[in-house]
Amino acid sequence: MSEHRAQGATGDGRMLIGIDVGGTTTDAVLIDGRRVVSEAAVATAPHNLAGSVLRALDCILESIRPTQVQRIVLSTTVITNLLAENKAEPVGLILLPGPGANPSDYGLPPAHIVHGAVDYRGREIAPLDEAGVRAAGAALRAEGLSRVAVVGKFCQRNPQHERSAKALLLEESPDAVVECGHMVSARLNFPRRVATTLLTLATRDHYGEYAREMSRALRERGLCAPIFVLKADGGTLPLDYSLRTPVETIFSGPAASTMGAVALAPPGESFVMLDVGGTTTDLALVLDGQPLLASKGARVHDLLTHVRSFAVKSVPVGGDSAVRAHEGVLTVGPDRMGPPACLGGPFPTPTDALRVLGAIDLGNAEAARSAMAEVAVALGTGPEGASRRVVDALASTIAGEVETMFAHWRDEPVYRIWEVLREEHARPALLVGVGGGAPSLAPAAASLLGMKCLVPEHAAVANALGAALSRPTMALTLSMDTSQGTWVAEEDGRGGRLEDLRLSLAGAEHMALEMLAARAEEAGIGSYAGDALVTHSEVFNMVRGYSTIGRLLDVTVEIPAGILNDWSAAHGE
Amino acid sequence: MANSADRHSAHSRSAPGASGRGRAAGPTGLIFFPAFDWAISPTHPEREERLLYTRDQIFEEGLLDLPQLAEYRPRLADHHDIARAHFCVPSIEAQSTEAHRIAAGSTLVLVDALEKADIANGFALVRPPGHHAMRVVHGNRGFCNINNMAVMVEYLRTVYGHRRIAIVDTDVHHGDGTQDIYWNDPDVLFISFHQDGRTLYPGSGFVEEMGGPNALGRTINIPLPPETPDEGIHFVLDELVLPVLADFAPELVLNSAGQDNHFTDPLANMCFSAQGYAHLNEKLRPDLCVLEGGYAVETALPYVNTAIIQAMAGLDYSHVIEPDWAPDKFTLKPSVKRGLESVVSQLLGIWRQREPMVEAARAKLGDHYRRQRMVFYDTDMIEEHQEELVRLCRECPGFITLSTRAEQAYNPLPSAFCVSVPIQACPRCAREAAAVYQEHKVAQKHDYVLLQDRLRDRHLRFHSATQEEMEY
Repeated sequence: MSEHRAQGATGDGRMLIGIDVGGTTTDAVLIDGRRVVSEAAVATAPHNLAGSVLRALDCILESIRPTQVQRIVLSTTVITNLLAENKAEPVGLILLPGPGANPSDYGLPPAHIVHGAVDYRGREIAPLDEAGVRAAGAALRAEGLSRVAVVGKFCQRNPQHERSAKALLLEESPDAVVECGHMVSARLNFPRRVATTLLTLATRDHYGEYAREMSRALRERGLCAPIFVLKADGGTLPLDYSLRTPVETIFSGPAASTMGAVALAPPGESFVMLDVGGTTTDLALVLDGQPLLASKGARVHDLLTHVRSFAVKSVPVGGDSAVRAHEGVLTVGPDRMGPPACLGGPFPTPTDALRVLGAIDLGNAEAARSAMAEVAVALGTGPEGASRRVVDALASTIAGEVETMFAHWRDEPVYRIWEVLREEHARPALLVGVGGGAPSLAPAAASLLGMKCLVPEHAAVANALGAALSRPTMALTLSMDTSQGTWVAEEDGRGGRLEDLRLSLAGAEHMALEMLAARAEEAGIGSYAGDALVTHSEVFNMVRGYSTIGRLLDVTVEIPAGILNDWSAAHGE
Repeated sequence: MANSADRHSAHSRSAPGASGRGRAAGPTGLIFFPAFDWAISPTHPEREERLLYTRDQIFEEGLLDLPQLAEYRPRLADHHDIARAHFCVPSIEAQSTEAHRIAAGSTLVLVDALEKADIANGFALVRPPGHHAMRVVHGNRGFCNINNMAVMVEYLRTVYGHRRIAIVDTDVHHGDGTQDIYWNDPDVLFISFHQDGRTLYPGSGFVEEMGGPNALGRTINIPLPPETPDEGIHFVLDELVLPVLADFAPELVLNSAGQDNHFTDPLANMCFSAQGYAHLNEKLRPDLCVLEGGYAVETALPYVNTAIIQAMAGLDYSHVIEPDWAPDKFTLKPSVKRGLESVVSQLLGIWRQREPMVEAARAKLGDHYRRQRMVFYDTDMIEEHQEELVRLCRECPGFITLSTRAEQAYNPLPSAFCVSVPIQACPRCAREAAAVYQEHKVAQKHDYVLLQDRLRDRHLRFHSATQEEMEY
């Protein structure tokens, strides 16, 4: 399968490439900054992702010189595949849980528990049991585990125990690879930090191989532009920088589609993104042009993580879902028995139903009709009637999931009065359909939901377009405790003594923004630091015995997800 | 007698706690509402910081990710919900801020979830607290304006038809507000254990406070000597609270879960631990808990709340150990033990004698019971003078009228005449109460005339100056 359409370059030669490697197809687009120059879709070879990328690239690069390309963004399923195929590396786990839950209640893999604890303000409440660390290290060595995750409760508030444990482990086995929880995530939630640290270590080596292979392949094609990867939060990161925490690139497919829909929808619009794929349909909520982030991190293979991700709902139905009818009862999916009958597959699918109804022009019409005829007999109707019912069933499943998504969004817990009182955000009235199945299915779902529907031009490659146009994202949390006179920059474990104990919240925000700018510079995305926003800031007076002894300041700043300026400017009002 | 006090209703459940009542299926519902943008005043114990470290601990533990827990979003209680529990003077709007309505509303969200069987039990981990707010509210008492527990009980009774409910108040302070609201109600068993009122605010909660004449014995106060440790509280629980609950056989057990019996609490002097609280919860098996006080914001609340949530959800809480606690840190002194034994045996005696005591009181008092009293509002420095008249009916708990006048720093506050019709009211009491309300609207002796008709769930406020009547 290979489709390709070129429209010729018109811009100033600043070309961008976006590639989304999906489970079934690899989509690619070439953009001159303001408009799509060419787009292509090729079948994904699951065991040769780099090959799939190159074939897609060859399709879109026909009309230009490789040196014209300024930026390449990849959205890949490499992490998903690694985990699905059990290729993740084994990782030993050492936990410093301190007082609280029984570690076995967390549903985590077996771990060595070591004594030593810090509390919610980062104060040591029990010293690290160094002999315990050495013993755990020896046990892991005996098990043949050279990768070790060390994670402590509240380590993000004081990483000293994790650091000491790491040093001890490396002292005993210098070849071991040890990763600490505080370097992976600073958000509250110890079990999620453990899972994220585990996944980081388990995927890093394979991911590194993939990244090197990909860079080499692109360079061989004469592409010397910087290579970025897309993350689950719709942001891009330089490929090299993504080696630190590769698990963040999981679920970049739905993020790519969501960002593509943002680029293709009217600027600042609120809408529901509907990406109809072969076996799954993804839903996301975009409010005033900004995709809604999940309040907690993503679930990765039964592990709850801190991976920042859009609030995407994946529904296991799509154009290739198997359609069955038995005694008048119709089911669609969740399994896939192969490609649609109209493309030579063994089973009727929604794609065949759409083919019968003339909604799409794909493959063999007769094959579609005869596949649907079998369904029609079981339903006691004709092929058109059966096809209509298949489309209705799929649309109503999708509509039901959209309603559920709205309900979840409305019922998110809140912790402040103003959040309870704020007027409910008006429910979006627009459905934006992207992906191959969108032109025919999105209008049917929208009509059931009483929403308007938009299937924009280039909808089929919205995912690749989203990858090409997404800006980098980066976040940093700065926590300060003026009574202890300390600060910690979460996510990289840096910290120190506070010089100014009377620092205002505005001062803390300024400090956080400066630190984020420095970190962005280091990652090679310094030019985007100016877009950073304060997304969360809180200050609590600490009062003991009726007098104030200090303040706790907590500031999160981020470079938010967004679409590159050139495109936005060209497609704005 | 026709009183429903000892009639087992259709909802009646098997004996609580030690007698083997099992945990229902489903997760534990939790509403965590720390009101991070509300304080009584910047340095007051009831301030923004109070549940900050609790948030850190329960979020860091990842408890809310577990299938054993379901987190709910709070909502505002309506004025109508508050009117069932309180007479607010001059108005509910004046006495309840948004924070109060959210704290009270949180309990209602959990009631709905419990009644739908979406949850097995629930904990409203919310502030501001409520158990010092009495039937009449002129201002803030003991950090409380609106009694979350009473708003919840009236919602359970009005919307879901429950009758017999037990409230166990485990805050270190006497739950005088809740006691006041249910003083005359034989269908609501109120049990409070607390540090002896001779040594702590609000200075009440003695054994002799046993309820109004028609509900004698249904208010049980257990004063505990200062420095009572886990063992002492569990002695009272095992020997008195659990047997009385088993005997009363309520449809629901509710817990005013204050956490200031903790050995580090700055406002009290007890020696209870996180383990003690969790074990208590496990034995009591409350259907719904509401947070009350607890002001050791760092040394107690993160640990106690974590352990209580775990106990409710059937999770292992044995690893929740405060940094400065050890199993042998506090022991029950023999003298304290002897004191507790004496209180327990006295209260068991009262409990067994409750029906004869009611009969004797009625024989002595006749148709009416009248009492005058002064109520002091510490937070707002208000002095209230009340005259209460309870009709001693044989068909129902009887309607109540209250005349209330208050002053703050020698300035008179608006006065009110209040008429409360119980949810179990007989036709005659309902009729007479309505007539009394009408008479007082004409009499013009008070600034406001208020009707709380729990039977019809109709709550009126009449303003004498403007002659305007409104319904909540």
